[in-house]
Amino acid sequence: MKNYIYISVLALFSIQACSDLEETPVSLIPTEGFFNSVIDVQTTINGAYGNMAEEAFWGRKLSLPLMLRSDMVGIGDVGTSSRRIDHDNFTVTSDNGMITAFWPRIHQIIAAANLAIAGAGSLDVAPEQVNPVVAQAYFVRAYSYFHMVRLFGDVPYLDTPITNLEDARTVVKIPEEEVYSNIIRDLEFAKQWLPNTQEVSGLPSKATAMSYLALVYLTMENYQEAYQEAKAVIDNESTFGISLASDFAELFDAPNQSNLNEVLFSIDFNGFRSGNFGQDFTPALTGIRANEVGGIGGGWSVAVPSIEVFNRWDGRDYRKRVSLDTTGVFSGQVDTFENFPTYDARNIASAYIAKYTRSPGRTSNGNGRGSEHNYAQMRYAEVLLIAAEALNEVNPGTTEADAYVNRVRARARNQAGVLSNFPEDVSGLSQSEFRTMVLEERRWELAFEFKRWYDIKRRRLGDDAFGPNGFEQRPNFTASRDYLLPLPNDELQRNPNLLPNNTGY
Amino acid sequence: MKKTKKLKRIFLLLFTFCSVLLSNAQQKAIQGIVTDQDSGESLPGVNVIVKGTSIGASTDFEGGYSLNISQENAVLVFSYLGYITKEIPVGANTTINAVLVEDVAALDQVVVVGYGARKKSDITGSVSSVKSEEINAFPVLDAQQALQGRAAGVAVQSNNGGEPGTPISVTIRGNTSIGASSAALVVVDGFVGASYPQASDIASVEILKDASATAIYGSRGANGVILVTTKKGKKGKMTVEFNTSYSLQSTSNRLDLLDANEFNRYQTAINPSYQAGTASTDWQDLIYRSGQVANHQLSFSGGSDNVNYYISGNYFDQEGVVINSGFERFSFLSNVDAQINDKLKIGFNVFGGRDNKDGVSTQADSGGRGSGDVISIAYRFAPDLGVTDANGQNTFNSVGDDIDNPFAVATERVDETKTDRYRANFYGEYDVLKHLTFKTTFGFSSRNENRGIFAPSTLLTTAGAQGGIASISSLNNTSVLNENYLTYKNKIGEGDFTALLGYSYQKDRTERFSAGSQGFVTNNVSFFNLGSGSVRSIPRSNLSEFEIQSQFARINYDYDNKYLLTLTGRRDGASNFSENNKYAFFPSGALGWKVSNEAFLEDSDVISNLKLRYSYGLTGNPSIAPFQSLANFQPIYSAVGDQPVNAVLPNQLANPDLKWETSYQSNFGLDLGFINNRISLSLDVYNIRTEDLILGDSSVPEYIGFLNNESLRNVGEITNKGVEISLTTRNIANTDFSWTTDFNWSRNRNKITKLINGQDIFLSSAPGHFLQGETHVLREGEAVGQFFGYEYRGVYQGGALPEGTATFEGAEAGDELFEDLDGSGDITTADRRIIGDPNQDWTFGLNNTFRYKDFDLGVFFQGGIGGDIFSYTFLELASGGSNATTEVLNAWTANNTNTNVPSAKVRERRISSRFVYDGSYVRLKNIALGYNLPERLTSKLGVDQLRLALSGQNLFTITDYPGADPEVSYRSSGSQNSNVNQGFDYGNYPNIESVTFSVNLRF
Repeated sequence: MKNYIYISVLALFSIQACSDLEETPVSLIPTEGFFNSVIDVQTTINGAYGNMAEEAFWGRKLSLPLMLRSDMVGIGDVGTSSRRIDHDNFTVTSDNGMITAFWPRIHQIIAAANLAIAGAGSLDVAPEQVNPVVAQAYFVRAYSYFHMVRLFGDVPYLDTPITNLEDARTVVKIPEEEVYSNIIRDLEFAKQWLPNTQEVSGLPSKATAMSYLALVYLTMENYQEAYQEAKAVIDNESTFGISLASDFAELFDAPNQSNLNEVLFSIDFNGFRSGNFGQDFTPALTGIRANEVGGIGGGWSVAVPSIEVFNRWDGRDYRKRVSLDTTGVFSGQVDTFENFPTYDARNIASAYIAKYTRSPGRTSNGNGRGSEHNYAQMRYAEVLLIAAEALNEVNPGTTEADAYVNRVRARARNQAGVLSNFPEDVSGLSQSEFRTMVLEERRWELAFEFKRWYDIKRRRLGDDAFGPNGFEQRPNFTASRDYLLPLPNDELQRNPNLLPNNTGY
Repeated sequence: MKKTKKLKRIFLLLFTFCSVLLSNAQQKAIQGIVTDQDSGESLPGVNVIVKGTSIGASTDFEGGYSLNISQENAVLVFSYLGYITKEIPVGANTTINAVLVEDVAALDQVVVVGYGARKKSDITGSVSSVKSEEINAFPVLDAQQALQGRAAGVAVQSNNGGEPGTPISVTIRGNTSIGASSAALVVVDGFVGASYPQASDIASVEILKDASATAIYGSRGANGVILVTTKKGKKGKMTVEFNTSYSLQSTSNRLDLLDANEFNRYQTAINPSYQAGTASTDWQDLIYRSGQVANHQLSFSGGSDNVNYYISGNYFDQEGVVINSGFERFSFLSNVDAQINDKLKIGFNVFGGRDNKDGVSTQADSGGRGSGDVISIAYRFAPDLGVTDANGQNTFNSVGDDIDNPFAVATERVDETKTDRYRANFYGEYDVLKHLTFKTTFGFSSRNENRGIFAPSTLLTTAGAQGGIASISSLNNTSVLNENYLTYKNKIGEGDFTALLGYSYQKDRTERFSAGSQGFVTNNVSFFNLGSGSVRSIPRSNLSEFEIQSQFARINYDYDNKYLLTLTGRRDGASNFSENNKYAFFPSGALGWKVSNEAFLEDSDVISNLKLRYSYGLTGNPSIAPFQSLANFQPIYSAVGDQPVNAVLPNQLANPDLKWETSYQSNFGLDLGFINNRISLSLDVYNIRTEDLILGDSSVPEYIGFLNNESLRNVGEITNKGVEISLTTRNIANTDFSWTTDFNWSRNRNKITKLINGQDIFLSSAPGHFLQGETHVLREGEAVGQFFGYEYRGVYQGGALPEGTATFEGAEAGDELFEDLDGSGDITTADRRIIGDPNQDWTFGLNNTFRYKDFDLGVFFQGGIGGDIFSYTFLELASGGSNATTEVLNAWTANNTNTNVPSAKVRERRISSRFVYDGSYVRLKNIALGYNLPERLTSKLGVDQLRLALSGQNLFTITDYPGADPEVSYRSSGSQNSNVNQGFDYGNYPNIESVTFSVNLRF
């Protein structure tokens, strides 16, 4: 009998040795031992690119406020959420839902870049092999902090992956100037190592780094450096394989954007999405409600240019026709924008943004949500205008500066091979006339491309832009406050070292 | 062969030897047979003991026993679980046959507890039992539905009204967690984590509520445990049972919406250029129909001396009350037990089934363009439009979000789920020694689910994507369980001693896969030809698995049938636990005192039973998903140059200290019986303190840049305190007429006592297109799930603001007025506060059963009092961009200022107290009239029993809630934070009322 007991007890506890309870997560990617080759560095940087094409960054949460804060775009549907309206009206508070959404997202992009840089450092590979790849991460970090510093001024700055949470909890903000010098340091590295050309505009090249250096210097009002960097790009345009698209409209034809040599860096959507990754809302936000054009079910009439944009934009400018929709199709009938509200009360009687709704390509969801657009962050036309603007500050009255602007204008006159005579070439302007001209040129050339707000901020144009004679009347605009956004309030609570918030919030 | 013969001879020899030894002591041999009074069948396994000694025997398969006694004036004690113990003096007899009577007072009914069974009177913990008759009082697809209102402290919630096949969740004694599930652990015939068998195959359900009862399930016991026992065959002739029922169903309630004319006037008030449609459609009429349920069961059961069996097949077919929704199930169950010899018993239990669910879209996460569910869009859609326009195309809504009409969505969108479930469980039980039994079980279960969805291009969802969207997703779950345990039972001194020691190993594995495609050549391909789509979506697959191995032990000591002691412990090791906390130990202890067995009460005529119980112990909630504590990168979708590329983002840091959530539970109980237990009362008071709740640490700055930024920490604490009362009275108990009342009442107070740094956690359950961030809050000192928003103070009449109120900037007369909490003069987000509490104050169930001769009548009420409901439905219908309830006919205008309804206008869908309602209700859950054919008729028909019954479910509900039904559950299952999303109403499949006719036949 005792044997049975022994056998039973043995049976009971022999099985116990069968598992060590270690987890083997085959469906997860462990962090340990991840970096083995340069490919892994690229995979991590791709994570940053993918995160830019996400709803909380360029899909909507950052891109929309950049539009709304400008004097070119306001709110159409007044019933839309207040976190959007507050950007248009300059009534943003530190718990604004757009800011609290893109703040973590932009830091995730930075974290991916930091991880790639640290991972590259851990590889036993010659610098010539790994640096041309990891230089993308330096560019990404510079690109991200360039947004940050323009939006918030002084910010916490992180350039290594977080391994110890407790240390990271207490970091402090660094001054704006220091952020800028870090951005320049990263862009210099990128400029040194990135290849002259990349196969797609979604990857930065040497010219991209230089163009961004030019824009960073322009923003810092260091016009000499801005001019030199921009000129170096222009002088080497054949080496870099860049040129202006021949027809302005090509830039917004989503299915064919990948063939353009004008775009120096873009955030790419391709019509596919996974959750909020690859989810582009700009066509939906800018589209006309109930519009039947394109068969995508119209848009949501959220971000709509004020009528002044239509009124003040010279009708002879081909770019106006490419950029604005003045008609829609409703119940099979074409009608003009004065009547848009009759088809849906949330439409307003104004011309709508056309750049993103006319040819969004194959779209994975209605309203053009999930378009195929590649959103140009930097295109060659802007480099030309940077060169012109900077040169005019350093050395006014040159024909060289005129020539840069005139290249952009010449392209604007070409509609599918048919040349118009507007806009005319410029020449003989005074320094201040030229300055005004080139900023206006940026307004029209880069209309609705998320650039205008940064121009207003950099040139301190707000009081005019939102004053009685501005494109938009925004009495609430306060120059001492509104050139910077508030840091998210909850983040200040998490780390009180980030206090105080920006002036006025 | 030869060898066995030899062994037999040796045994024989030994036996003779022993007999000789024993017979030396001047003994008298007694023998007899023990039978059941009702059936006359013999009872095997009855304990026969000579009173005051340890001499005894137990009856064999024939109910026979024999023993030798030497005492004079000996008294034999016959005891058997579930029967009244009988004492018979031996006197001069040598043959003593005993007839045992089943214990109707149910005090000595056997109650299944984890890894064993106990007499109910010996239980020290808090255990509720639900009988087979209660579970089968009316037809249910999921046996859990039948538990509602039947046991105190047990909350049963349909996760989607009356949807055919909707998941049911059962919560015992409140919400013990925030991030993890609060659902009870389900154990079917010993298989941990099993799915329910068909209701008609269930013999009993035991609900273990306190730590004394649940600690044996260790890290999975904190939410309570539901033990389900299926029917088994009994020795005797084969019994065939055929049960069939047929129900007619309809929606229990509908909303009062504007008709086409009223709608036109309303929309014109909002937008003077509104172009009215020409049709007149009641969309609720179009999508609802009368549903029906057919339920048939055929079972065979019986047994011989050594083998018993129960085999059952079941067919359930439901046509839902929403067009194109339905559910069909085939299932079978087979239970076979065999006594191989007098020491070894084995059994095999097999369950299998196939479900076909025909779904319609309900409870949509978003009702933006083309994405609404049929219920909410039936409320929203313009009544002045028809199903199709002049060109034969489906109509889209003419106001608000561009949504398909509900009829088109219900009829054209296909959503089919097929689920196969199998479970096989083997056990072997061996009597190692007289008092020691070894049991081993080996079980395997699998669930395969395949879901296909197809939306043709005639719907808005697919506009711009040409030719329809299709997807298939599959889930495959397998679970393997092996348990081995020893049970030792003996008398020690004056007491009964039982000890249990065991080991358990379980491995669970879930594989998921999904793929999709769009852009088909025609709309006729459905989801079975994904390859023919021109655009394919990203395929996904995922594997999740965990192992859990445990040792468990329990000691019961019942001294003198007066003092009870239970000690329990389980040590769980689990792979999903973090590196530094792989093993957890959960002990519990309980004491019981059967006061009524003390001398001073033993002879009381009034108090027939009095027992006091106290228990204290620890139980756990595993709460950590597999792989959740590991550092990892998240692969994401990324396209560079329009080409998808490999891409990862840092997801989270490792969390080597993460551990399970632990509940510290105490329970004080009192069982009281009066007048021969005609009145029996159970009272339980409990206090559950759950610590180490896993919360996302929102104090981690977001600039650290992890995708999963909020690293998890064991910080939070919740308490649940409550009282439960169960009362059964046999008011009248005559031969011809009887009346029994079962009443249970419970109240639970849930309170969050600790959050990270005391900071509120704000949550949102609003449908996506509402564009509203925060809807409810977790706050220290409050119960979970408090609604959070503005306090509505009526309509702004223009001019000066009433004291303490304000409006949003730029408001005009007729707009909403809110309480200005911060006194800023404007309403901002700072003016929000808690505006409602979804937790019920108390719940009850009341069942009265009347029997007159062959007729019986059951009337079952159930209710919950004091829980608030936030209605997203009414908020949406009041926001202008849709049809509306008739409330807007009284909207504010310059000529109608004395009203609480703001002017007709398109409004932001703000969370305010205007849409918080009292969700208290009392409901006639079931009323059933039954007739058992008298024996003279059944014997003519050649059947043992024939029963006919007519019943009605949910025939009326008393409630002030103006919505379709007070039992709401938007986003309370499956989604993020579902555990703390309570009391939200949106897009619920309507609850149903039904009339059922059933026939039960046994022969």
